[in-house]
Formats: sequence, C-alpha cells, structure tokens
Amino acid sequence: MKHFTSLVLFGAAVVALVSAAGSEGEISFEYHRYEELRKALVSVWLQCPTITRIYTIGESFEGRELLVLEMTDNPGTHEPGEPEFKYIANMHGNEAVGRELLIYLAQYLCNQYQQGNETVIDLVHNTRIHFMPSMNPDGFEKAASQPGEIKDWFVGRSNAQGVDLNRNFPDLDRIIYINEREGGANNHLLQNMKKAVDENTKLAPETKAVIHWIMDIPFVLSANLHGGDVVANYPYDETRTGSTHEYSSSPDDVMFKSLARAYSIYNPVMSDPNRAPCRKNDDDSSFKDGITNGGAWYSVPGGMQDFNYLSSNCFEITLELSCDKFPNEDTLKSYWEQNRNSLVNYIEQVHRGVKGFVPKDGDYWRLLAPGNYKVAASAPGYLTVIKKVAVSYSPATRVDFELESLMERKEEEREELMDWWKMMSETLNF
Amino acid sequence: MASKYVGLFVLFQLLALNVLSQISAFPTPTASTDDKTVYNRQLTEERPLQEQIAEADSVKAAVQSAEGKRSTASKGAESEQDLDDFTVLKSLADGQKSKETTELPLKKEGQYVPDESDSTKSRRLTEDYDSTKNGMDYGKYQDDTESFRQVDGTSLTAEDIVQKIANKIYEEDDRGVFDRIVSKLLKLGLITDSQADTLEYQVAEALQDLITKNAKNNEIDDVESNDEETRGEQEDQGSDTNKDTWEPPSRRYNKDEDDDEENDDEIEDEVDRDAEEEGDDKANKTWDKDAEEGNEVRPEDGLQDLQYFPNFYRLLSSLDSAGVVECETYTDRLMSGAPYVTRLVFLAGHHISSQWKENLDAMIAMQTKNKLGKALGPPDFTGPNGKNLDEDDNTKAEAAKMQKEYENLKDSTKEEQPSTETNQPGKSETYLEAIRKNIEWLKKHNKEEGKEDYDLSKLKDFMDQQVDSYIEKGIIAKDEGDTIKRIYSSLEAVTLAVLPYERILVRARLWDSSLSDSDPDLDREKMVDSLQYSKPLVQAAGRFPSPVIFRMLTREIRD
Repeated sequence: MKHFTSLVLFGAAVVALVSAAGSEGEISFEYHRYEELRKALVSVWLQCPTITRIYTIGESFEGRELLVLEMTDNPGTHEPGEPEFKYIANMHGNEAVGRELLIYLAQYLCNQYQQGNETVIDLVHNTRIHFMPSMNPDGFEKAASQPGEIKDWFVGRSNAQGVDLNRNFPDLDRIIYINEREGGANNHLLQNMKKAVDENTKLAPETKAVIHWIMDIPFVLSANLHGGDVVANYPYDETRTGSTHEYSSSPDDVMFKSLARAYSIYNPVMSDPNRAPCRKNDDDSSFKDGITNGGAWYSVPGGMQDFNYLSSNCFEITLELSCDKFPNEDTLKSYWEQNRNSLVNYIEQVHRGVKGFVPKDGDYWRLLAPGNYKVAASAPGYLTVIKKVAVSYSPATRVDFELESLMERKEEEREELMDWWKMMSETLNF
Repeated sequence: MASKYVGLFVLFQLLALNVLSQISAFPTPTASTDDKTVYNRQLTEERPLQEQIAEADSVKAAVQSAEGKRSTASKGAESEQDLDDFTVLKSLADGQKSKETTELPLKKEGQYVPDESDSTKSRRLTEDYDSTKNGMDYGKYQDDTESFRQVDGTSLTAEDIVQKIANKIYEEDDRGVFDRIVSKLLKLGLITDSQADTLEYQVAEALQDLITKNAKNNEIDDVESNDEETRGEQEDQGSDTNKDTWEPPSRRYNKDEDDDEENDDEIEDEVDRDAEEEGDDKANKTWDKDAEEGNEVRPEDGLQDLQYFPNFYRLLSSLDSAGVVECETYTDRLMSGAPYVTRLVFLAGHHISSQWKENLDAMIAMQTKNKLGKALGPPDFTGPNGKNLDEDDNTKAEAAKMQKEYENLKDSTKEEQPSTETNQPGKSETYLEAIRKNIEWLKKHNKEEGKEDYDLSKLKDFMDQQVDSYIEKGIIAKDEGDTIKRIYSSLEAVTLAVLPYERILVRARLWDSSLSDSDPDLDREKMVDSLQYSKPLVQAAGRFPSPVIFRMLTREIRD
C-alpha cells in the first residue's frame, strides 16, 4: 500500500509541475535538422490526423523534400468558403528562428485543438492553414553544420546553387510599374505565365516549386518568415524609381499596414517603440509601430512577397523575427513566447474584408480595410457586376455575385428582339 | 425428462468416476476401429430420445471397457474426457429439446462418444453464431452444416453458447472443459485457431463476469483444501473419491449457488467435479511429466489437461500450503512490488472489489511501464540485443503505450517524455506518444459528443493508407512507416474500452501472440521465490480461464 500511495503522491506532484508549465510543457524548444523537422511534422500529423496532412511541393536542389503541413478540418481539399492561408519560413537557410517557430506553431495548434481551445478550433474549421517550415532546407543544413555558437551572417543563406531565393522570383513589380504608367493590369499577372515560368532556367527548384504552389492554391493571406531584424514588412519591396530607399505603396497600402500591425501588435519586442536597433548603425527610420514599407526600408527586387501579391493577389508580408539570424538554441523558447500570439492572430486576419460566392464559378476573398467600397466582380465573357459594400474590421462581409455571362445576355436580348419583332409583324401584318 | 437425463447421466458418471482423471487429455486420434464403426452412423432423422440414449449408453459402455484405466495419458483418460465433454456439450444444450437432424462429424472421426441425448447437442459450439453479436465475426462458422437449435427452432446464439461454456467451467471449476471442447473442434477442423482464440476470449470474458458477479458473495479467505461442499442439486456426490488438496477454491463459488444468477444455467446434472480431480501426489507426478511437454494448446500434441500450467504445478508441488491469508495482506504484498505475475495470480484466483482491481491495474500498468521503459530505450525498434524481439518490442511498446493510456485515463499524471526528442531512440516513442494523444483525444471527443466509440479499425485503415502515400512521396521513410503501421496494428488488437480487469486478459493475449512456441526452461527457484503465496491461492490461479495468461506468466517469471 505504501508504494502505491507514494506513487500517487509522485503522480500528483508531476501533475502540478506540468500544469504549472502550461501547454508549453508539451513542446520541446530546440533546433530541428531536416530529419528532425520531418519527424516533428509527422508527429503532429500522428497526433492530429483528422485535421492535418503533410505534403510536399517539390524537392530542393539537394533532394530534400519541401514539406508542408496543412491544418484544417478536412485536410486535402479546398472547401468552398474556406480561405487558404500560408506561412513560409527559412527561405534564407541561415535565418532559423522562423523555421522553428512554425514547427512549434503546428504542435501548438494541434495541442490546443485537442484541448478544446475554441479560438483554435474555429480557426482550424474555417481556414486552411499551410505551414512550410523551410523553403531552403539545404541552406539550413549548411548553416547549422557550422561549428560553434556564432553563425556567419551569410553562410547558408542562399540555396545549394548559391541562389538567393528572395531575389529569384520573377520581377513583377517592374511590370506593374510600367503598367501603372502606361496602362495595364495591376494584378493576377501570373495567368499567362505558367509556361514562361516552366521554361525559365534561372529559377531555382525551390522557387519554381513555390510558384507552382501559388498557382495551384488560391492563397488569400500569407507571411514570409525571416531573421536579422525585428519588424513586419509589407509591399512593395521594390522601389518605383529604383532608388534604395523609397516608400513604395501598393493599391492596398491601407490594408497592408493593418495586416502588418495585426502581427506586430502582439509581439512585445517588435512593437516596442523604444527598442534599440539590432545593430548600432542600422537605419530603422522607416519602422513605425513595428511595421515598415518594404521599399522604404530598402529595395528588394525579385522577392517572394511582391510576387505573391502581384501574381495571384495573395497578400503577403515579410516578418523579420530576430536580430540574430541563427541565435542560440536556448533563446528559442523566448522567441516562441514573443511570437505565438502574433502568429495566431495573423492567421485570423484572413477572415476580414469581403468574401462570397459566385455561382458556378466558386468562391472568392478580398482583404479590405474597414470602409465603404464598390466591389466589382467581372470575368471575361461576363458582365461586370458592381455592388456597394460597407466593410467592417472583422469578420468578413459576405457579398455574393451572380455573374451573367455576356453570351447569356446577348441571347436574352436577341430573344427579346425576336419577340418584339414577332409582335410588331403580327400587328402590322408584315 | 431432464431429471431422467440426470439420472442416467449420473449413473454413468458413477461408473466413470473411478477412471476419470483430473487430467483432461486432448483426444488423440487413436480411437479403435471398433469405435469408429459405432460412430459412423448417418442420421437422417432424429430418432426417439430413448433410442438415442440407449445407443449412447451402449456406446459409452463399449468405449469404457475398451479403454481401461486412466492412470496414464492414455486413451482411457481420453475416453473419460470424451464422456466429460459429452456431459458438457449435453448440458450445454440442456433445456433445448431440438429434434433436428444433425450429423456428427465428430463421430466419423471416431473420437467422439455420441451423446445419448439429442445428437444436435454434441455439435460444435461455434455453429450458428450470430455474426452480428458483439461485433464478432462468426461468419466463418456458418459454413458448418449442423447447428444447435433451440426448442422453438431458433439457433443457439453465440452468446448462449459462450455463456454455457463459461457456466460449465465455472461450475466445474475446470478450464479443461473448454479446452477439451475446443481441442476437439480444432482437431476436427471445425474451427480455426483464430476462431478458437476468439472463442476463448469470449468465454474468458463471460467467466470473468461470472466470477465478478459472485465476488461479492464470496470471501477471499475461504480457500480451503479438501472442501467437500457439494451442490444441492447434485444427487449423488457421496462417492467422490480422490478429493485432494487441489480442491477448488471454487467451492467458494458454489457457496451462493445462484441458479438465480444464472438463469440460463439449467445444468442440474452437474458432473461431479470431485470426480475429475485426483490426488495431489498423483496429480503432481502426472503434471510433472506433462510439464515436460511444454505449453502447447493444440490437441494434436496429446498433452494432458494441465499442460497449460506446468510451471505452476511445479510450483505447487514445492510450495507449502500456508492456508488462507487475508486480503489485506495480499494487497500489501502485491503493492510491495511483487512482480507482475503475482498480481495476475492473485487476480486470477480471487474475488476482489472492482475498485481494488482498478488500483491494482494501475499499479501493474506502472510496473510494466517501468519494466518496458528500458526496452524502449535502445534506438532500434527491432530490439537491441539481437534476439527476435521484433514482436516483443511491438507488444512491449504497445503495452507501454497502453500503460500510458491507463495512466492518462486514471489521472492526468504526465510522466511521458516531451513529444519531440532529438535523439534517435526517441523517434518511435515520439510517434507512440503522438498516436496515444490522438487516441486519447478521439475517445474524449467522442464521449463528449455522445458518439459511439471511434472506430479503431477504420482509423487504422486510414492511417495505413496515409502512411503508404507518405512513404511513396518521400515524406516518411519506409521503416518509420512500418513502425507507425505496427503501432496501429497492435492497437487494433486491443479493445481500448475494456474494463481494467479485462485489459489484463487482453494484454495477455497480446503478449501471448508474441510468444514463441517453444518454452524455455524455467528457473524453478526463481519461480518459487517470486510466488510467495499459499498453495491454494496458486491453485486458484490455476483456474484462470486462459492458457494465455499462464504463458505470459511463465514468461514473466523468466524475465
């Protein structure tokens, strides 16, 4: 009996310990190499197989799978009315914090889901969330293999071919700027580019894989995790004039600012107005409330963020999460704590603006900041329909469109004409 | 009618008394040709009862005279066993007066002494199991041509049959009943091994229920040898001979003979259980001899009845009979860290409160987990020491998993490791942990939503499918995939929503399935040391209705 009692006591003590640690007790904060990353994702999947699915969008140059874990109530398919969201990290292999945070986030959401966290459950049931912890696993391995604690600023940044993936995307900004001046589309530029993309030899395999991914899934909102500074960065990244510093606003500037703030506000370090710059001579004059316009900070051509926005209207921002690109492992827990709420809150932003259905054609989403808008839905061969909408902060306002195809309208008109003619001829004895 | 049966039967039992042995040998295919001819009758229609009885009687007499004494593992014993089986089967169907035509393939085999009652009753039990009952797939059974029928022509359901067997075992306090029946069925190819296992499991469950039911009315300390308590209904017990110290504590069972409790138990012409028992010494000798033959269940080996418990009987002979001990003391001993086996021994033989059982279960779980924790330490799932531990690890890992489930179910004690270990050995455990959490959540979730228990086999199928597709895509490695599949398979073998007591059964089955056939030599000293309980207790344990448990127990001792 004694032993049993003592066991019970011990058990009780352990319970107390665990509950004190909270849910964090179930996450282990350490760096994951490729195998460990795979294992971690598989474990999340095994724990939550009904709401998760692992897939790969392709292979890195050295053959590592570009793994994605999706989390939603019916993984594997796009459900009408359920917006698509993604987080991508570690496109610079030596910027390691984001990679880890996404692994922790996946575990966290799975745990919270099973523990009955209503917010998480709602989010998972109404969104399709994709996590890609590492877009550049080759680079990471290189960076992580460095001996010692201090990691070089550049080693492992680019992919195995030496390509900086965040300069490797087709430069749609330039096209946009031209169109702005000369007239032309300012969105969905990718539609006719599939072939061009496939044939482009300058694209790294990782870049190509992501572009295909973007073309396949109608992402609505996204974020791109980096390191080396602490700020939430939004489009455009490339300056219009080509200068190194220039505020380059997109048509959705207001919305982007709102999105970026939605992240930074929950990150105490990011939103700290008195935070000293990461390095003494850093120019963070463009940072405000923890956010910055890309171009205003420094011009980045060929980046993934703008590509997302311009090619498929996926709103993406870039999150810089740590002054130190590859910090010490024992700091990971604190980075998690700084970013956890922001990461979750940012996903929730996808449920803003307007959304709705267009019969026969499917669903749509459009992120919009609060205000009054005229929303026009148009499609080739269809008549444009314009509706006035008052958009609040949240949740998304539902606006459905019934598009009438041009052909249909012409048909109708013709029939009407025929009837009229018939009537006329009968009356007038033609 | 019934009483007539009783009368006749008891009469023959008396005759058979002298030659009946405690050992229920498996029938060996050594029946004389004479018997064969006797048995080879084609029944095209049910003959008048009297005629059947008469014939059966004559056959029995013939068999008896032909067989001779039973002191060795001989045909004699076998024939007596046949008679007993007869009784069993007859009594099984007692109360049912079907007049249907049945063919006794058993007879053809020349093994079976035809029942003087309805030939339908001596039919295999597995027949006509309702495949929708208890989720058991008895569909295979329906290939058989014969069937039990009840009075009104409806079939005996699986439940009835199982219940009857369990009752019989309970009454007679001899699992040999079951073994003989099953062995015959197996031998005749009427059921497969796995069906036999299933049947065994079902019967074990039913038996546990019986024991539990009676538990309240019985006291633990009433374990006396040489208890000659007899049942009221039994007309003639006087001539019981060879009462021995191997007297069942089951006497206790009979104390509150509840015909009420077992309404469907109309076994009135109880075979004199004493008749089946023999002197301790004799038994020991026999057992020792039999013990050499290992632990095989299959009838073909021609082993004695107590083949299942050779080690226990060895133990028995070396133990002093210390008389009865209070429950509390045993509890203490158990909690003091006696090995797993002793707990099972205790559990097996005793009526204890379910709450106590629950605690015990948790204790066992704990101990097992600790024990297995080492096994899971090494990196490879296939075992570190090169032995064929593949299955072992599977079951051990699975058992460890079960421990964790138990623990979690009992309380929120979290003794598990963090789910993401960076070292290789952690991998299987990590996956195990993740799967466990999923199962946990599923159970809780379904409970909350008021749904049925989740479908484990569906989940397993789904996961297997996913695993395959992931392997194909390069998301997980083949060996990882195999590990995951194996975890789910072993999970499937375990019914998660069972009572703690049954979990032990189930666990035993699981372990049993991983045992290799050959039993290594057991360290007798070690066994003796590990079992500190009185002989009667151990004897009681011997009545645990499953050879499975014993194999596991003996294995445990070895470990």
